[in-house]
Amino acid sequence: MSYSTFNRKHFDSMKEPMFFGENVNVARYDQQKHPIFEKLIEKQLSFFWRPEEVDLSSDRKDFQNLEPHEQHIFLSNLKYQTLLDSVQGRSPNVALLPIVSLPELETWIETWAFSETIHSRSYTHIIRNIVNDPTAIFDDITVNEEITRRADSVSKYYDQLIEMVNLYNTLGVGTHTISTRGEVVINLRELKKALYLTIASVNVLEAIRFYVSFACSFAFAERTLMEGNAKIIKLIARDEALHLTGTQHMLNIMASGRDDPEMALIAEECKSEVAEIFIDAAQQEKEWSRYLFKDGSMIGLNAEILSQYVEYITNMRMQAIGLEAHFDTKSNPIPWINAWLVSDNVQVAPQEAEISSYLVGQIDNDLGDSDFDDFDL
Amino acid sequence: MLVSEKEPLLPQLERAGVLVDYQCREGYCSSCILKLLRGHVIYPTEPLAWVQSGYMLACCAIVKSDIEISFL
Repeated sequence: MSYSTFNRKHFDSMKEPMFFGENVNVARYDQQKHPIFEKLIEKQLSFFWRPEEVDLSSDRKDFQNLEPHEQHIFLSNLKYQTLLDSVQGRSPNVALLPIVSLPELETWIETWAFSETIHSRSYTHIIRNIVNDPTAIFDDITVNEEITRRADSVSKYYDQLIEMVNLYNTLGVGTHTISTRGEVVINLRELKKALYLTIASVNVLEAIRFYVSFACSFAFAERTLMEGNAKIIKLIARDEALHLTGTQHMLNIMASGRDDPEMALIAEECKSEVAEIFIDAAQQEKEWSRYLFKDGSMIGLNAEILSQYVEYITNMRMQAIGLEAHFDTKSNPIPWINAWLVSDNVQVAPQEAEISSYLVGQIDNDLGDSDFDDFDL
Repeated sequence: MLVSEKEPLLPQLERAGVLVDYQCREGYCSSCILKLLRGHVIYPTEPLAWVQSGYMLACCAIVKSDIEISFL
């Protein structure tokens, strides 16, 4: 019932479900019920990077030369990403650690959330570099209506789950009378449903919401502007793709019923509600694109194109967890984003980077015999 | 089109002018997912992304028979 930091019971952790079984006791990784989470941990660790490794010196000058409406696009995206990673840096830990039952999944959740804190730190690094007073930007995140509206929808499911788990861990299942709330019914099935919907909403956050900002950052970089920022976003996108795979696995394992048979029933029951979460988020992101471009578009990107991209990735992500595509958009309206998202050539040291602003005086290391043909000794 | 077993399908599609979305190109992001309507592919190392039956990841799948694919 109440959470124990070191469960003294004897049990076979290989037989526990992912969530709502025994509290984890021994953090052991020699055996895993779901080896995928161990692999995700290894991969995430191999991705480790620090924002300060990325040189942003040319971004400050670029930012000052941006048109005011472009500065609005850039800063609004940064604020939104700061919000998303503020939520993601803590919520998987707060919401999921008290109910997780497998050591490899527990550590994946911690590793995942930790990497989100790196993203948050990178926004501070970027903001500190481009403006003299970061406080004005950070303060706006909690008061700007366009942002707070989004905060409500990204934190809603987490907050509901956390509240229910708190009651479950203190009072257990049953009907309880709470002075501030009246009668509250806590049952495991409702908890599992809240969990499933939370993971689905996190999947949406990582699969759709982030990508709108990514598209804008890369659209600047296509014009060789804010390239240091693009480099950081590229590293963040690499992490997010992995996190996204993590939540897709959780959802698919739950839906398959091979972890907890009741979860398969819940997944089936929640299908239309989950589809609704995706469609609502797509709608909100389309509204967000209109807000971004309210004072003017940027070369290569406008509210219309960005909205089509939202529809396109929403379709893709829905199909990845076994839902029907919802929108008509069939092809990627901004195929150039692939070249920016590709992570196999991510290198953080500026001297290794391929950013064009650093290529001045670059020495070509590829030599062949014919390169010496002009030489006479 | 004629494909080889020497490398994954994605670069071969690209060379043939077929545009497929990609991101990680190593099997964890599932951006390059395609429907595998017919035929057999293998993965030299199991990809981290979830691949449902009837689908394939172009970036790391080696084609082992005649296949028929489509976009999602």
